[in-house]
Amino acid sequence: MSAPQPTTLSDRIQQIPRHYVYLLLAGVVVWQLLFPIRLPITPSVPTRGVYDAVAAVPDDKLIIITTDWDASTQAETGPQTQAVIHACFQNHKKFVIMNLQPPMGVKLAQDLAQEAAAEYGAVYGVDYANWGYKYGYENVLMAMAKNIPNAIGDDFYGKPVGELPLMQGVEDIHAIGLVVIVTGLSAMTEMWVGLIQGPYNTPLAAAYTAVMAPIYYPYLDSDQLKGMLVGAKGAAELEAMVDRPGKAVAIMNVQSWAHVLIIALILLGNLGYLFARGRGGERQP
Amino acid sequence: MWFSRLLQRLFPPAPTPAALYLYLALAVVGSIVIIVALHRLLGPRGRRWLIAFVTFIAGLFFGLEYFYPVHGDPAKNFLTDWIEPVSVMLTVVGAFTVGLGIYSLLQVHGRNLAQRRPGWHNSLAFFLATFAMLVFGMWEHYLHLPQPPPEVVPWPKGIYEILFNGLFAPLQAATFSLLAFYIASAAYRAFRVRTGEAALMMAAAFIVMIGQVPVGAWLTSFIPADSPAAFFRLEMLGEWVLRWLNTPAQRGIIFGIAVGALAMSLRIWLSLERGTFFSEQS
Repeated sequence: MSAPQPTTLSDRIQQIPRHYVYLLLAGVVVWQLLFPIRLPITPSVPTRGVYDAVAAVPDDKLIIITTDWDASTQAETGPQTQAVIHACFQNHKKFVIMNLQPPMGVKLAQDLAQEAAAEYGAVYGVDYANWGYKYGYENVLMAMAKNIPNAIGDDFYGKPVGELPLMQGVEDIHAIGLVVIVTGLSAMTEMWVGLIQGPYNTPLAAAYTAVMAPIYYPYLDSDQLKGMLVGAKGAAELEAMVDRPGKAVAIMNVQSWAHVLIIALILLGNLGYLFARGRGGERQP
Repeated sequence: MWFSRLLQRLFPPAPTPAALYLYLALAVVGSIVIIVALHRLLGPRGRRWLIAFVTFIAGLFFGLEYFYPVHGDPAKNFLTDWIEPVSVMLTVVGAFTVGLGIYSLLQVHGRNLAQRRPGWHNSLAFFLATFAMLVFGMWEHYLHLPQPPPEVVPWPKGIYEILFNGLFAPLQAATFSLLAFYIASAAYRAFRVRTGEAALMMAAAFIVMIGQVPVGAWLTSFIPADSPAAFFRLEMLGEWVLRWLNTPAQRGIIFGIAVGALAMSLRIWLSLERGTFFSEQS
């Protein structure tokens, strides 16, 4: 049965056909991509926490960047990873990429690392490495806490990680100065907090998609997370801090006006609803 | 540690690549023989008890290791040294599920294709995509290119990059991006202030939505950041909602989930959970 046709103005503004909504949103996205209105980006406290955590890592310790994301969340997690990599290189910190799930993230992050490494003249295996995708979730973390070369085995290219120059002296989790969890999946943080941060006091920081970040504010509040990047906003703020404005800044321009449009549409729908209620005839959209 | 020494004695490092493949083949064949033998020798009741026993021992091991008091430097208890070999062993066992998943997909889509069921072309796409990615992924891996890769890459690597960065990644990103349109439409059509609670929710949502993007900061940039009224800047209000209203609510939810997860873990550990292997068998 088809929906009743809107007859009054209040009905009409409550029932704008969905393809017009899609078109409006697409229009805003294209408009901001082609002719961006650049707005100032000020780093928030959680973002500054991530940068400070990276800068505070002792030179003889490694940073682990977990890339538990794939193309579905790449718009947010990709720039986050890239900004964290820039922060590592600029602060002369050695880092490794590792991936527990989904496996796609390890290759996407490796491309980002290679791109940044070329800019800084960094060498694979000396300044950074990629431990690759490791199956096993908690088992991997428990094993690597005791013996990293054994638990990790080979790197992204199939070479034993123990043979990489930056792994010299790296035996267990005490050689790790910071773990930055970049993820679009829930439950990864709980694993790291429960099995690594809690028992071994290894500092953690995290980068989440905007939709999942609110869940992890308690960990920030309790200082179990030293800092947090919230979606593309966090990535844009870190990009600003490392002076590498990139995709996240562009995304924030788009997202700003897309949010304004969505708010305007919601207000419009509610205006129609209130008019209809005032007339005494509430219409369900 | 005697357990590690025993493992090393039982499974010495392969002296040559050929020996490694021989060991792997022997391990796979041996595992299959053991599983088939157990399957034949044990009835449904025996299998049930075996699985329940292994589940219990595994849960007991990790639980005891975590909670048993530690001593010495480095701090450890009598089970700590076993964590690494047992974890690696579980990782290896778990990796078999990847093979099981692929086998299951091949079986389902193979049947669709063979019987020309409705949507069989999707199954064909699955086979083409799987085998193309498998072949060029493996090929690219075994090229052992230097790092950083050369400017001109061999053609299998080029095809792999097209498949991965040119098809797989954009397709997945595009599928997920469609959500933005559905969410915009759904928010407009469904979000109505019918009650006081809904009004509160809408106000919080607007503050966070606008406070989390630069336009929010720009709209209230007339309030000096160092003035007492700075709290009313939208980005500050958004952060306040997330840190002071959202955090306690999330903490409560996390506690609730943790208690539920503990209860569920206990049921699985003691093999009391229904809807698993056991209930289907009985």
